Amino acid sequence: MTKTEMTTRILFVDDEPKVLSGLRRMLRAYRSEWTMEFCEGPEQALAIMSQTPYDVVITDMRMPVMDGADLLTEIRELYPGTIRIVLSGQSEQERILRAVGPAHQYLSKPCDPEFLRATIRRVSLLSQRIQKPEMKALVSRMDSLPSLPSIYFELLEELKSEDASVDCVGKLISKDVSMTAKVLQVVNSSFFGLPVHINDAQHAAALLGLNTLKPLVLTASIFRQLEDSRVSAAYLEQVFSHSLEVGGIAKALAKAEGLGKESADNAFIGGALHDVGKVVLGDNFGQEYVALCQDSEAQGNSTSELERKQFGATHADVGGFLLGLWGLPQEIIEAVAYHHEPDTGIDEGFSTLSAVYVANLLCSEKAKSEGQESLIDEGYLARLGLQDRVEAWRQIAEELAAPV
Amino acid sequence: MAPEQLLYPRTADTSSSEPDGSDVHTELLSVKKELRGALERENWLRRTIDTANDAFVSTTVMGEVLEWNSKAEQLFGWSRAEVIGKHLSETIFPPSVSDNGAGGLQHLIQVRSEGKRVETKARTLDGDEISVEVSISPMREGSSFVLNAFIHDITSRKQLQAQLTHAQKLESVGQLSAGIAHEINTPTQYVGDNTRFLEESFEEILGVLNCFNELLQAVEGQGDVAAVVAKVKKVSEAADLEYLKKEIQDSIKQSLEGVSRVASIVRAMKEFSHPGSATKTPTDINKNIKNTITVATNEWKYVAKMVTEMDDEMPLIPCLPGDLNQVILNLIVNSAHAIAEALGKNPTEKGTITISTALRDNFAEIRVQDTGAGIPESIRRRIFDPFFTTKGVGVGSGQGLAIARSVIVDKHAGTIDVNSVEGQGTTFLVRLPLEEQSALANEKHDRKKKDSK
Repeated sequence: MTKTEMTTRILFVDDEPKVLSGLRRMLRAYRSEWTMEFCEGPEQALAIMSQTPYDVVITDMRMPVMDGADLLTEIRELYPGTIRIVLSGQSEQERILRAVGPAHQYLSKPCDPEFLRATIRRVSLLSQRIQKPEMKALVSRMDSLPSLPSIYFELLEELKSEDASVDCVGKLISKDVSMTAKVLQVVNSSFFGLPVHINDAQHAAALLGLNTLKPLVLTASIFRQLEDSRVSAAYLEQVFSHSLEVGGIAKALAKAEGLGKESADNAFIGGALHDVGKVVLGDNFGQEYVALCQDSEAQGNSTSELERKQFGATHADVGGFLLGLWGLPQEIIEAVAYHHEPDTGIDEGFSTLSAVYVANLLCSEKAKSEGQESLIDEGYLARLGLQDRVEAWRQIAEELAAPV
Repeated sequence: MAPEQLLYPRTADTSSSEPDGSDVHTELLSVKKELRGALERENWLRRTIDTANDAFVSTTVMGEVLEWNSKAEQLFGWSRAEVIGKHLSETIFPPSVSDNGAGGLQHLIQVRSEGKRVETKARTLDGDEISVEVSISPMREGSSFVLNAFIHDITSRKQLQAQLTHAQKLESVGQLSAGIAHEINTPTQYVGDNTRFLEESFEEILGVLNCFNELLQAVEGQGDVAAVVAKVKKVSEAADLEYLKKEIQDSIKQSLEGVSRVASIVRAMKEFSHPGSATKTPTDINKNIKNTITVATNEWKYVAKMVTEMDDEMPLIPCLPGDLNQVILNLIVNSAHAIAEALGKNPTEKGTITISTALRDNFAEIRVQDTGAGIPESIRRRIFDPFFTTKGVGVGSGQGLAIARSVIVDKHAGTIDVNSVEGQGTTFLVRLPLEEQSALANEKHDRKKKDSK
């Protein structure tokens, strides 16, 4: 690989030249890794992008003539593979709501230099994960995921009612994998200046509050109706119920293995979102993808293999990439991205990833015929030194599945 | 049957005794009837006046009370019997409360425009001051006049207006604070970035310095000078000292600019929101205007450039600084909106807002001029009406110009006028009297001169 192929190309847009020169100086240490360009307006940015592609665009929100939301909307159309980030000092909710659609992440000025660097580093690594440009573009273009109609309409009704409760709204969101992912993007991307690393949909809803959730859902339409999707409600229902089950088991396993509350919550969300890639693929390819899943089940082939052959990426790659774009906590992204290949993870002992990996397989085992041999990778367990725990885990999973 | 029989002959009797005394009797009867009619009418009018919803007061030209209805009794506390024959200045219009003078109602219709409803202050028996609206109609009575007035209590309306003014102030402060946050966040971002850069640059320079120290020691202690020189060269090159020299200077300069920018915004905000004193204070209006422009930067800078033409000779103007700031802010925001409207969805260049001050004929003039869309002729008359707005829901409550008018005209005895050409722009002209009440005083003075001629 040549040097230009390896470096991430980043374009900064801000109407204040002093902000640009501050960024240029602050990021100088990364000049060998990143190729950075700085420009003072959206028109200029679009002109530059028409000459050379960029992997990441980081733009101010309020600028004369054209604002950041318009710029990112345009970039989403023209260069869907580009990662779109807002770096803004805006605090007007109305304007922030405009960015929720076109921006993958939203950083507030003043943004801590280390945090900014870490964010850029993360997304630039991310853009290398999926090689096939069409697939990258497809995922980058997603600004919402289809929701289950039953939950969607109940949520609308609740939000429109006089005595809406944020508690009830939070519960509804956490029942829907698509909504959970989206609401976590909104809180974790500091759109509303909230603390980062929120890993619980109900907590996220409570932090946003009804006054923000209402316009987000009713005006900015962060959640999407199923009608606009190529998948059926039955397919979504199947993915969601499996996901939530895995989430529940993963959390129980994390607790049983002595992980802290933070990691246990991450395990739950990691489990609940581990198949979010299947939602993305189903949403985009409809019956083509559903057929692939059915084939895999009927013939006993690995879904990942078929996906890789057909789309150039697995549902785990797609899910991890999407959640990375959306700025979810790193532990959750890893759990989602590697839930079929836990050895890729760097953790030494039992981690959030391990919990999601094991929980997913325990669920699959259950779905298959009795007496089949364990699907869990013995080598991985041996590396963790946890071969003898499998029975206990199975017990936990069965207890959770038992009707109350 | 008996009563009828009794009645009948008696009637017959009267008719039979027609020739003697019948005229007198009839006349008496008709007088009685007329009297009763008059009494009934008097009673009817009395009741009409008493059941009126407003206080009714009738006085002589000199202000002596002739009539006083029950609503007046209720509103002011004095009974009819107590006030009849007394002067209004002894009751509801004492000199301490109103400037209506000894003339009472006479003064009101003379000084203020006749036939219109006038707003003034009145006193109640309990000593409370209330706001009233007085509608006076003169009635010729012989060689003189009687002045009839309906007086309507508008205290609660006034309070509501005050609350609305306050609400609009809060609304604009809310809008402002979002803009100010943005204005502060931007320099904070680059000051932070530059400081991080300086920290890292210092590390590199320190590395170079350490090498030079080593070199010094090598030279003094007869070490391997050549090796150290090579190292110095290598480290200096890696640090790119030329780049650092220029960038460090620039980043210090820009950081200082950023910090002073934040400081000036905070200072302007502090002065802008300074709790307005209830009484008029001699004020440097040029400075107030500049502060307000700074505070409102985020409201205009994306659509317009700001030009100021201040009259440096401007003396201190007696005014309510907080209220005046509010007026300037409302006019600036209005101009910015008008320009944004003219620029439309895809603006190619900014408009201009020009704010100028000038001294003319005992008035301080403030002009706020924009190159915006202009105000259509058809609605120009209504722009100062409360709640009149052409902007979408959520853009404003339609109070901005109404409050500007109320502050300038009612509180400062000044004037506010608008001159607008559709498609070209709008100019608001605010005129504030140089001395408190001087406008009114001049008017009185002129009138007195006329009267004495």
